[in-house]
Amino acid sequence: MPFQKQKLDSKLALVVDDSKMQCMMLSVLLKEEGYEVITANDGACGVAKYIEYQPDLVLMDINMPIMNGYEAAKQIKNISQGSLAPLIFITSLDSDKAFIDSVEAGGDSILVRPFTPEVFKAKIKAIQRIGDLYTQVKNLQQEQQKDEELAEQLLNGVIGARNYALDKIGIVKKAAAIFSGDIQLSVLCPNGDIHVLLGDFTGHGLRSSIGAIPLTTTFRTMTNKGFSLLEIIKQINEQLYDLLPANLFLAASFVCVSSTHHSVYAFNAGLPDTYIYSNNGKIKHRIQSQHPPIGVLPQLLPHSRLDVYSVEEYDRIILISDGVIEARNKAKEMFGSERFEKVVSESDFSQNIAVLIMQSVNDFCQETEQEDDISIIDIPCNIFTENNVEDIFSQPYFDENYEENIDENSLAINMSTDHQIITANDVLSTPAIWKWQLLLSGSRLGTVNPIPIAMSQIQAIEGSGEHWHSLYTILTELFVNALDHGVLELSSALKNSPEGFVQYFNEREKRLEKLTSGYINIKLSYHLLASGGRMLIKIKDSGKGFAVLEKFKNNSLNFTQNNELSGRGLELVNQLTETLEYQYNGSLVEASYIWNQ
Amino acid sequence: MSIKQQISESNNQVIIAIENNFDFSLHQHFREAYSHCNTPKTDFILDLSHTEYMDSSALGMILLLKDHADNLGGQVIIKKPSDTVNKILEIAQFHRLVTIEK
Repeated sequence: MPFQKQKLDSKLALVVDDSKMQCMMLSVLLKEEGYEVITANDGACGVAKYIEYQPDLVLMDINMPIMNGYEAAKQIKNISQGSLAPLIFITSLDSDKAFIDSVEAGGDSILVRPFTPEVFKAKIKAIQRIGDLYTQVKNLQQEQQKDEELAEQLLNGVIGARNYALDKIGIVKKAAAIFSGDIQLSVLCPNGDIHVLLGDFTGHGLRSSIGAIPLTTTFRTMTNKGFSLLEIIKQINEQLYDLLPANLFLAASFVCVSSTHHSVYAFNAGLPDTYIYSNNGKIKHRIQSQHPPIGVLPQLLPHSRLDVYSVEEYDRIILISDGVIEARNKAKEMFGSERFEKVVSESDFSQNIAVLIMQSVNDFCQETEQEDDISIIDIPCNIFTENNVEDIFSQPYFDENYEENIDENSLAINMSTDHQIITANDVLSTPAIWKWQLLLSGSRLGTVNPIPIAMSQIQAIEGSGEHWHSLYTILTELFVNALDHGVLELSSALKNSPEGFVQYFNEREKRLEKLTSGYINIKLSYHLLASGGRMLIKIKDSGKGFAVLEKFKNNSLNFTQNNELSGRGLELVNQLTETLEYQYNGSLVEASYIWNQ
Repeated sequence: MSIKQQISESNNQVIIAIENNFDFSLHQHFREAYSHCNTPKTDFILDLSHTEYMDSSALGMILLLKDHADNLGGQVIIKKPSDTVNKILEIAQFHRLVTIEK
């Protein structure tokens, strides 16, 4: 199109008419209006010149040889999809039919001969005005699309790409616009649990994803720091309430999959039911929405709590956004929850169920335009059996080589009693390089989780690192024991059945709410070693003590390897610590944790 | 237009009825239906008996209406939601925020 580019200022018109006389007359008038003009004498030739020159305006006769004006107009409009290409029919056919057919063929206007030059010029101006408006809208649209694409790319990088265990958790999303108002997050907690979130912001497109970044950041950061799911939900609610206008909010379902207790904690605020399926395709639990969406109220409703469900290894947790249930086919029928439940129950559970559901939604909707974002998350409950728990155990809480060396050397230097003696001497020889303590009492025991506070102190002083993950587990387990069995006097025997575990959890919530007395004192002291360090932990509670003492005589316990639901915490701590000792009938625990560089 | 509005000044009530679909396209009209009612203690009755479908932006619009009513010391009462609409209100747990009369 060099012709056009040489003269950017002047506009180009194409006149298609089989009468050379007419062509000339129109050309003169157009030139007076500042147009460059090219001409064609039949429809086919007009289409060819249109393709070659991409003019800004087309004037089209109706009756012409080879190809008439209607057909030529149709072809031109077809080619020029995406730009306006204003086209005016010029004709002496003064009939309703000619007018209607012109519009049908894609004409933007019609001018009936005879007309004065003034009327012609006015017509051109009018059509040009529409053309300018069209170009403006078009440019704005393109700009917006570019912005959205960039933002989408950014958000995907920030959000989706950093999700945890993407190989195990099935996540499927299909956005209605470039940009999805749906958000899917999975994050590993320091204690090995996994937090999963499926969120759906009001509406879709760029507007609805404004809240995505603060939501993601808060969810990730607080999970990493070890806050409990409910604390995180509270914080996100307050944050979104402050940030977003009243009509923008987040419907979301939150799930915490516990790595050690065969249980799932869940909170559904405004999403369709979240499901727990057993591997024979039966619905075990429907987790219904129990709270208005996040960001609607300044604070979560009083007594908001997570519900706890016991699960087995091959159970599946499935979260869906309302886009799944409300997806419509051509007949305007909704996909609906019945269809959804049927699809899942008939699915092959060895597959990624999220993908299977999505396929069936697509089959149902066929080519119907998608109205809302669709997301599905499928979490297999055996997500831990293959790596997570082992991850914790394989962390260098005790260097294997170190152990081997001692075994080899023990004969030579006759130190059969093992490494604990050496380490005890170390403690004596290196005084604590720092100490820290926190005493919580009364109602604060129920509202404050001291472990993230302790961990942030440790990391503020010693820097962060993988080796603190085990310490986090140790502190959490010991603190929870002190709180549950010491202060709250709950019996762990309750936890011996899956149903009991739920009961235990409920009772715990009840007692925590009423708590006004009692205390827990956490003391940490840190000692430097030649490479790495040792953390001494003392946790004292106000309780009468609990049955754990008998199990823990001389730090030589042997847990029975049946599938007891209680005692796992201490079993874990015992493996992670160098020494672990309960005193005063269990109300004081002392542990030491070593890490080597 | 699928919004009907009726003001009864004697008992400080504004009735807003929505027909067919309650979604983002009604945003402007919906706002206009209540924004000029600034009499203290006005109650806003939202008649959803003829509403066939409602999306999440409609929930947002109801929250804006609630803000407006709260400022005037009045309340929002949703009347006779259809089954489909009620399901959506239930999922969003809106009965905890406004009165819903079935």
